[in-house]
Amino acid sequence: MREHIEEFEEIADEMFERFMERPSWDVSTHSLEPLCNVSVSSDRVIVTADLPKVDPKSIRVNGIADDLIEITAKMRVKVNFEDLGITHRKGEFSCFSCRVPLPVPVDTSKARARFRRGILEIMLPRKRGYEIKVE
Amino acid sequence: MDNRVKIVERKEIPEGLKVICGLPDVGLVGTIAASHLISKLGLAEIAYVRSDLLPPIVMLEKGLPHSPVRMFGDENLIVLSSEIAIPSSSVYSVIESTIDWIGNKKAEIVFTLGGLPTPNRHEIEKPKIFGAASDETLLKTLDEKGIQIIQRGFLVGPQALILSYCAERNIPAIALLAESFYNYPDPQASSVVIQALNRIIDIEIDVSELIEKGEEVRLAMRDMMRRTQAELARMKKSHEYDIPGYYIK
Repeated sequence: MREHIEEFEEIADEMFERFMERPSWDVSTHSLEPLCNVSVSSDRVIVTADLPKVDPKSIRVNGIADDLIEITAKMRVKVNFEDLGITHRKGEFSCFSCRVPLPVPVDTSKARARFRRGILEIMLPRKRGYEIKVE
Repeated sequence: MDNRVKIVERKEIPEGLKVICGLPDVGLVGTIAASHLISKLGLAEIAYVRSDLLPPIVMLEKGLPHSPVRMFGDENLIVLSSEIAIPSSSVYSVIESTIDWIGNKKAEIVFTLGGLPTPNRHEIEKPKIFGAASDETLLKTLDEKGIQIIQRGFLVGPQALILSYCAERNIPAIALLAESFYNYPDPQASSVVIQALNRIIDIEIDVSELIEKGEEVRLAMRDMMRRTQAELARMKKSHEYDIPGYYIK
């Protein structure tokens, strides 16, 4: 059993590493990938994203599938590499954009979102299954 | 001391200084605080950690290579900071060797600055500060300064080792932890730990700039936060949320 757990942890580690081995920015679309977090409770999925320097009115959340959402937001000011202390790369960024895979299916039509202190919080109710009667 | 970890001194470092550790952890609270202290006090690099247990990374500054794990200081204090998360596989060796070096330098006191992950952090207007220490006398100091002591709970990662190794070696040490985001850079929490530090030692670091430039800090720290998050997961940092087992008294 322990071997299986270790094997699973190694696979999870490898997947995470693969995800990390790409930049968090895309010069061609002028976009930055925000930091996101997904947590699952018994009745809902909560997705949060850190969106510094964005115009709250420009935040858009779209349901792509019942287990995938897309977050986009425009920044109030453009930021370039030099603003971040990098002089050997060129490019500027004007928005945040990411697609967030969800671990369980949700009902995106009943999702709610709010933006407080620079953090976007999206609450998505989980799709209901069937009930098993307890005798 | 693990001989695979070496502290290289760039200049002669006197004994008896105060040491402030701000290593990558939840919310990068310690890292942001350390960076602010280095900048505000105009501290220069005085030593660095060289180890083949760290990833093969150098920090380029004005074209010159530097270790990502460094100490900055002046005639009063040393700030230990890192541009990379200390890998979970080498955290014991790196921290133990660093604390041994600090012990040999007869440090007056060691502070470790960090965050206390709080699930509803974005609902909190001003994070609370908590403390822990290496001995009873320092706990009394924390109490006198109005810093609530963590009576019971888990501490995971570099700051856990800093506190326990200092306690074992009778080096006075205090952990200052502000409520913080787990995986989002949290400059406001950093400002709270610096304000607590101001109350304990005789320095006056202005944190207004840290608050004003909070969004810039959060933007600049995204990638370090992503990498740190991966190491925190490997260290099972979420243990800090756990309620320790109950002992019948």
